[in-house]
Amino acid sequence: MASVANPRAAGGNRASGGAGFWRPLARHGSDHALAAVPTVWLAVFFLGPLGFTVVFSFGHSTFGSVTLGFTWANYATALSGFYGATFLRTLVFAVTASGLCLLVAFPVGYFIARHTTKRRVLAITLILIPYFSSFLIRIMSLYMLLSRGGFAEIVINALGLHSGPLDVLDSQTAVFIGMVYAYLPIAVVPLFVVLDRIPEPLIEASRDLGASRWEAFWLVTWPLSRPGIATAALLTAVPMLGELVIPRLLGGSRGVLMGQAISQQYLQSQNYPLGSAMAVLVLIAVAIVVGTLAWITKGFQEVGR
Amino acid sequence: MSEHAAFRSRGVTRRSVLGAAPVLAALAAGLGRPRRASAAGQLNIYSWPDYFSTDDLAAYAKKTGVTPNIATYDSNDTMFAKLNSPAGAGFDIVIPSSEWIQQLAQKGLLEEIDHSKLNLGALDQHLLNRDYDPGNKYSLPKDWGLLGVVYDPEAVGGEIATWDDFFRAGEKPGVSGKVRLSTSGWETIGPALWLEGKDWNKATEADIRSAGERLKTFAKNVKTFTGPDASAVANGAIVMAQTNQGKARTIIGLNPKLKWAVPGPWSELWVDNYAIVKGAPDLDQAYDFLGYQLQPDVQLAETQYIGFPAALAGLKDKLPADTKNADLIFGGSNVDFSKLTSFVVNPDTIGVYTQVQSEIQAAAG
Repeated sequence: MASVANPRAAGGNRASGGAGFWRPLARHGSDHALAAVPTVWLAVFFLGPLGFTVVFSFGHSTFGSVTLGFTWANYATALSGFYGATFLRTLVFAVTASGLCLLVAFPVGYFIARHTTKRRVLAITLILIPYFSSFLIRIMSLYMLLSRGGFAEIVINALGLHSGPLDVLDSQTAVFIGMVYAYLPIAVVPLFVVLDRIPEPLIEASRDLGASRWEAFWLVTWPLSRPGIATAALLTAVPMLGELVIPRLLGGSRGVLMGQAISQQYLQSQNYPLGSAMAVLVLIAVAIVVGTLAWITKGFQEVGR
Repeated sequence: MSEHAAFRSRGVTRRSVLGAAPVLAALAAGLGRPRRASAAGQLNIYSWPDYFSTDDLAAYAKKTGVTPNIATYDSNDTMFAKLNSPAGAGFDIVIPSSEWIQQLAQKGLLEEIDHSKLNLGALDQHLLNRDYDPGNKYSLPKDWGLLGVVYDPEAVGGEIATWDDFFRAGEKPGVSGKVRLSTSGWETIGPALWLEGKDWNKATEADIRSAGERLKTFAKNVKTFTGPDASAVANGAIVMAQTNQGKARTIIGLNPKLKWAVPGPWSELWVDNYAIVKGAPDLDQAYDFLGYQLQPDVQLAETQYIGFPAALAGLKDKLPADTKNADLIFGGSNVDFSKLTSFVVNPDTIGVYTQVQSEIQAAAG
């Protein structure tokens, strides 16, 4: 909600305050001014709320408000029993869904990088076209495709893969289908970029030195594509950790994930401290994922140069 | 809770195609902010989406020169969170459901209603002076609904008269795996509490947890906690669903073989209410609008528009004779108001209801 309102407010500030201080700064170095805008933006709209969340997570709930204090009780609740299990399940879920996504995306990225020349722009455009419509519209469309009497049912019945009505909606399978579908494009793009930057002569050289096609892939292409894999994993796993819409629309809200648990604490239970503690835990999980991936790709800055 | 958007608002047929519009509505909820009343004669309403007849609003604007600004929310908890924050300033009228009135009033977010400024004589007495707001100090009924069950009698193999029938039917082959339960903790756990002879508003944490155990065992039969998508019930993907009478009417309109029941020993009556926000910028305009809304012809038009009954007494007889399934608008032909109870959110137990609901949903996964 805030994210909808904020750009307007912030845009307004920039427009009104801009004329006064812009010109003198430009003389000294417009780079600093350009960097200052996003920095201030981040500080106000990202670090501010984050600070509140962290402070709240140590407080006591008074239904719809918070008494500030210092207690680990919220973290204890968030990590134990049902919520602890939910946290773990969410981690496993994000890793699995992200892995599935990469598994599908790698061959696609590889194909575009290696086997398209003139039609490359077309291929990338086709991958990215879904982003011209909103996330919700895409998931709703998938809902209609997968529902009883929908297009998916007609197709798999016609192919003889299934007979009778298709009841895949409201299941974990549908959630995974939705996750892979929704996040596939952002996994394909970094993989394509990194695969495209692996020079063809490197692979030719390895073949000249006696490597089979498989060895050339496994010993040259695969290691060099690790930064792309890491980026793709990051871009898919992190939003999946907080995914709220897909489990609800395609999974019938069965099998609760952390995103739903947090929203329930904030809204239905009006328990901001517990919701905040859960949110901080998710954030720590994200930090660990990012740290691990940064470590994996260390020393890869020179790829493709 | 969050599902009420799909339940209560009028665009049921569009929603049945889209299936999961609450989320779309949630987006819309973020967009509305009240305009500050700078000039005289402004009215800012905070409401569920599509919850006022557009004709009535236009007629009101024509009559008074004031076009109400309407911002929307998709759940009571979202509305509560907003009114309970600085972002909630500037609204005149809000439409909270019965369960949240007490909490809103206790937080000092609602203005006491001056009954002398309004004529409540024509309203249905069943809907006045109920537990959630004795004496209607803070709220006036706008429209109401029931918790009930839509089911396929063939698949279920009989009538559903009690919640016990509901739970037993869910275990049967052909029904198991095709059941829809509510996303709201008290609507899933409530039936189990009623069967044990307990009052959902007085249940202790231990009561809620033990009743919840029955639901956790039952969860394996559940297909979904969202929706219900009307076409999924009509085409047999779901054969038994907890829902309200408005949704039931849409579903039975699509498939007349299906039946609606309000099971015993107890079930839920929820009432959506007009309330005046504390510090409303334009009290006079707010009372003027409420007076307009309570007129019989407006009440009738609102009922036809939203598909849920407004609070006017004897409304059923005023509807045009060709209204399809008119009985269902009022929850069926013989609703016994003495067997209906309204939930009241209590800070001591709402967290338990929420957590047990999460556990039930997890057990279904």
